[in-house]
Amino acid sequence: MMPVLQVGPFALPLPVLTVLIGLWLGLTLTERFAARNDLKADLVINTAMLGLISGVIASRFGYVLRHLSAFIASPMDVFSRNLGLFDPIIGIAVGVISSAIYAQRKDLRWLPTLDALTPALAVFAIALHLSHLASGEAYGTPSNLAWSIELWGIRRHPSQIYEAAAALAILIYLWPGRKNVTSLLPGEYFIRFMTLSAASLLFLEGFRGDSALLPGGLRIPQITAWLVLATSLVALGRRRQKINIR
Amino acid sequence: MTDASRWNFFTVVVLSLGVVWIWMSKVPHSELKDAAKTAPQTGFLAPDFSLATPKGEQIKLSDQRGKAVIVNIWASWCLPCREEMPALQRIYEESASQGLLILAVNATNQDDPEEAIKFSEDLGLSFPILLDIDGSVSSRYRLQSLPTTFFIDPGGKIDEVVLGGPMAEALLRVRVERLLKDAKP
Repeated sequence: MMPVLQVGPFALPLPVLTVLIGLWLGLTLTERFAARNDLKADLVINTAMLGLISGVIASRFGYVLRHLSAFIASPMDVFSRNLGLFDPIIGIAVGVISSAIYAQRKDLRWLPTLDALTPALAVFAIALHLSHLASGEAYGTPSNLAWSIELWGIRRHPSQIYEAAAALAILIYLWPGRKNVTSLLPGEYFIRFMTLSAASLLFLEGFRGDSALLPGGLRIPQITAWLVLATSLVALGRRRQKINIR
Repeated sequence: MTDASRWNFFTVVVLSLGVVWIWMSKVPHSELKDAAKTAPQTGFLAPDFSLATPKGEQIKLSDQRGKAVIVNIWASWCLPCREEMPALQRIYEESASQGLLILAVNATNQDDPEEAIKFSEDLGLSFPILLDIDGSVSSRYRLQSLPTTFFIDPGGKIDEVVLGGPMAEALLRVRVERLLKDAKP
């Protein structure tokens, strides 16, 4: 665990840096392989960047609106660098909607666009889990296995490493440079990524020590992942039928 | 068996295994009740400490149960620490009567205690300044960055950790409002 990277007099937040590097690497990969989906790379990158920027701005303003009284007393805090002053749900919603509107205006077909953005999502997933390792969040359940790590006072499953390794395996399996990727139906590449990611979350969440729980101890992320997995498997099944009919 | 049937069978098997795994990996009732572990991380009980103010008064964290507590670890040479202190003071003046306590733990093992005391007097800080002379609290709270702030709910559980600063006053207001819901004035 290393939440802060000390470089001379500067204390850099390593989890945030990891996520930013992940975004940059992911978008670079997307840019490189966008042409495989018959899309212009700059339009795909613009779609992603617009979503990111509008998402960040909306998540701050969403937070401000939800806590207006706190900001009336200190209005300049709207521009604060504090990461705790964001509303991620509003940010994601606005980011996705902005990207969708932009893509539609630029006549980008949405299934190939999702396929083109999938490598960025796959790299981002790895970066996110590594950022959890740096911050000590998303920690595992207590364990005495040989590979357990000491975290927050006891030995635990290295759940962040499990999740990062699974995300890396998914990226390798779905590497956009592979020849078989080009023969997929539009959208299938993205659905495969969702299927594998949901399966990975469903399994590995069982080793997490900080899951959000339902009464009775059921883990909410596992149930969400099961629903995504079910939807993705059905969607993949329909695509296989289409291929067979052809 | 057709390709579609094979796929449907595969889907049913995978989803059934998923249901079994969800059930097998649910958190046992005994662990739900025994959630009171201590660590300097969100969701855990805050590690206890007892430190003295410059006037010699001892303050113990575990004696503050029922209050919303902000533990702010700082040093007088640290610019972001200095910048966020006035906001902490304003929040304390507004909310102390509702059950808020701010414990400003000076990392004295890496600071000049006289400078720290002079700084707190110059700013007219009215919340307790605690001197961590041997660095034991910094060590127990795994201090990685100055300032570091722990928001602790009335039950003694860490609600949030903020690494670095300065914290915006709005952030302090929102977090304090949340913590004070269960606090006793």
